[in-house]
Amino acid sequence: MNDWLELEAEIAPPTPVETSRFDLYVRGEIPSSLAGSLIVATSRRHKNRSLFSRWHDSQADLLKLDLFPGRPGRVSATFLAVDQNWPSSNGHEPSPFYATQPNHGLNCSPDTVWATNLLFGAPLEVDLASWRPRRILRYLEPTSDSPQVTSTSHFAWSLDGRYTYFHQSLLERESEGRQVRAAALTLIELDTITGSERTWRIIPPADDASAEGANFHSAFYYEEGGRQFVGLLRTGVVLETLAPHQVPTEHLVTPMEPSTIWIIEIQRDQDALHAFLLPGVRALGGFALSHLDVDASSRDGFVLFANCKQADVAEETHGKNLYGESPEEVPEHYSGMNIEPFNFGQVIRYSRQGGKTSIDSFSRPYLPGKTSLGHSWLPINVQLDSSKERLFCSFNGFRPRLLPRHVAEAYKDLVADVSQIRYVPPLLMRFNATSLEPDTDPKRRHLSYAEPVAFALVGDSGNDYVCTFAPDVGLRIYDANDLTTMVGYAVAAELMTYRDSHYRPMPAHMAFVPR
Amino acid sequence: MALNRPTVSGPEFAKIVASASAKVEKLEANNWDFDSVPEIFARKQHADVLAKEAIHLHDGRTMTRLGRLVLGGVGTHFNLMGSIPSDATFKVATEYTDHALKQINQQVGHEGLYDVPEYRQIEKKFGQAEQVEFSNYGLFYRAKDLVQWLLIHDAGCFPSTLETIVRRFAMGNVVQNNMYSTKHPSKDPKKPSLMRSPGLLVQFPSKVVEWMEQPIYGGLVDATIKVEHLLTIKPTNISHPYLPLVLESKVRLVGDDYYLRTYSGLSPKEALRGPGVSQEAPTKKKR
Repeated sequence: MNDWLELEAEIAPPTPVETSRFDLYVRGEIPSSLAGSLIVATSRRHKNRSLFSRWHDSQADLLKLDLFPGRPGRVSATFLAVDQNWPSSNGHEPSPFYATQPNHGLNCSPDTVWATNLLFGAPLEVDLASWRPRRILRYLEPTSDSPQVTSTSHFAWSLDGRYTYFHQSLLERESEGRQVRAAALTLIELDTITGSERTWRIIPPADDASAEGANFHSAFYYEEGGRQFVGLLRTGVVLETLAPHQVPTEHLVTPMEPSTIWIIEIQRDQDALHAFLLPGVRALGGFALSHLDVDASSRDGFVLFANCKQADVAEETHGKNLYGESPEEVPEHYSGMNIEPFNFGQVIRYSRQGGKTSIDSFSRPYLPGKTSLGHSWLPINVQLDSSKERLFCSFNGFRPRLLPRHVAEAYKDLVADVSQIRYVPPLLMRFNATSLEPDTDPKRRHLSYAEPVAFALVGDSGNDYVCTFAPDVGLRIYDANDLTTMVGYAVAAELMTYRDSHYRPMPAHMAFVPR
Repeated sequence: MALNRPTVSGPEFAKIVASASAKVEKLEANNWDFDSVPEIFARKQHADVLAKEAIHLHDGRTMTRLGRLVLGGVGTHFNLMGSIPSDATFKVATEYTDHALKQINQQVGHEGLYDVPEYRQIEKKFGQAEQVEFSNYGLFYRAKDLVQWLLIHDAGCFPSTLETIVRRFAMGNVVQNNMYSTKHPSKDPKKPSLMRSPGLLVQFPSKVVEWMEQPIYGGLVDATIKVEHLLTIKPTNISHPYLPLVLESKVRLVGDDYYLRTYSGLSPKEALRGPGVSQEAPTKKKR
């Protein structure tokens, strides 16, 4: 209907270190404990919704919000537009595969950020002070048959915060009768002080050896009996094709496998490490086990909090929706956008301490008449507060008209009743970390609907602030005790768009690095 | 929202107010769970902003918004609510808005909403929009006052919509509210009354350009037709969060020169649901 003048302006692709800087307008207060930087990984795509663009491959911009406490205080933003093939992008043939595409996960030390994709590519190491990329952490060399790597999005951290652990493997192209497979599964230990690395080959558990779903979104570290372990959340995503669709058509979707958790003992005298399954996880029947927080401070096991999305995160929006509507009939449709869940998800609490194991889970539909109970539609972030007594979780909700028919068909009986299900608003909710029950408050201070899902908890000794962020709504700051009262917020139009492109989907994660 | 009880006179009104107050108190005592007072759920609603033509003028210190809305609705009486910063000035300024939009459109050869084919189709289908007046302006500072007003006027509300509004109160915003009515009421959602609002002006301090929030689905149309002009005193590359840029120029308005960037198109509403799916309702009791 309208011409895209901005498109016609022939914008050059981002240079390897293209940045932009501007200030946000602050109302309220930036509390003193927030002196530092909030880091957000964003996806950027054209505003024209009909242009197919697989969001996994979208332009990744890393945003640093420098916070200066005061009333109102100051918030300064710097975007770093990442080149997919940095630092050697010039002269590359156009390819659907790339070295790095950090539009999702954020792993931070006091002076460094390792940013990651949800599924594809290797982590990008960024110097926090200069806000420039340093290197790409790729330990496996792609080949013509395995042209892409996959890495853990959210790393594990040793208890002293010095070592970080993540998985990386090659992705083999699909072939006749075979889906995309992971190969050369590798565990990496990175010393964040010296920059040195150690790698081990991972030997999959005999009872979970399928290479199709061998992708690991998050990792955690714990100790037990003086031994060191890394847990890998096996997401179980199955890719039919490695490259994005040339022409997006409805296609057969191979369902994901129920998620599991692999446990690997760190043995420095070995080159290959055997993984074994954490008991009881597969029986939960959850799909897309993805995000976590862990309390392993006892050095005798762990208390793990994680979530299952019940969403086929390898797929993307295109084709007719659940109701048989074509994309042109659905104004909110983006071609290639992230996938909606097929039903409500669950948050789990897995405790393994002193030789005893227990599993609790929270899963709940959205009941418009009982909104104080919360819901568990598309859980995203899970974070313990500084006291470790309260858990904060964000849920992205549900937009029923955005779930493609061909994806829903793969999960048949598991899909919510399309004649009844409505829009489910996003939610931030506080839980009791011991019981995994909502930390219900008679004045509703335990939850906040219509809240961006990306959040970071900042504080100490139980005095915490919750910061949430989305480009369209800006930065919001709450006292963690009271999610009905905002302490401050900051906005800027420059957060929302870059010429003809804008930030979609909304960022999933945010991390805080103190100054 | 459509108002099923626009006016009541005499002591009956006092009873209605008392009843609404009791319901709000019960709702608050039950953690704002609508199931505790199911009559708070809105009855079937078909009222939406169909189209908007607006000017966003930013001079580096102040954000000034001027605009006209085209409203659609089933019923006779309606209200329009919007959240604004607590330090904002809000007023009906039809003459000034008309003048400003006319000046801009004349200078750049634009015809506002008539340049958008979807808007021309609406007028072709439903006829020209009726000019309506706003009345009984008010401000709400708390969710409970807003809910009480909706109950008094038998409009009710939806939990997910209320949650969005609650966030805006938490930001320190207030909600401004106006009533309006049509001389040509409709009972058919497929042929709603088409109404043109007075010109509205909102002004508040801000060092940055601030766009308006996405409107929430009101049961009638799933997207809003928009023409939005951004005026700045310095050149800018700021873009609209959803709409394509269709025009760039310089214009003169009330003796001052501005850089103009115009965006137009359709922007989806929030909280859309599938075809044939009913609006939010009380939880069904298990037998």
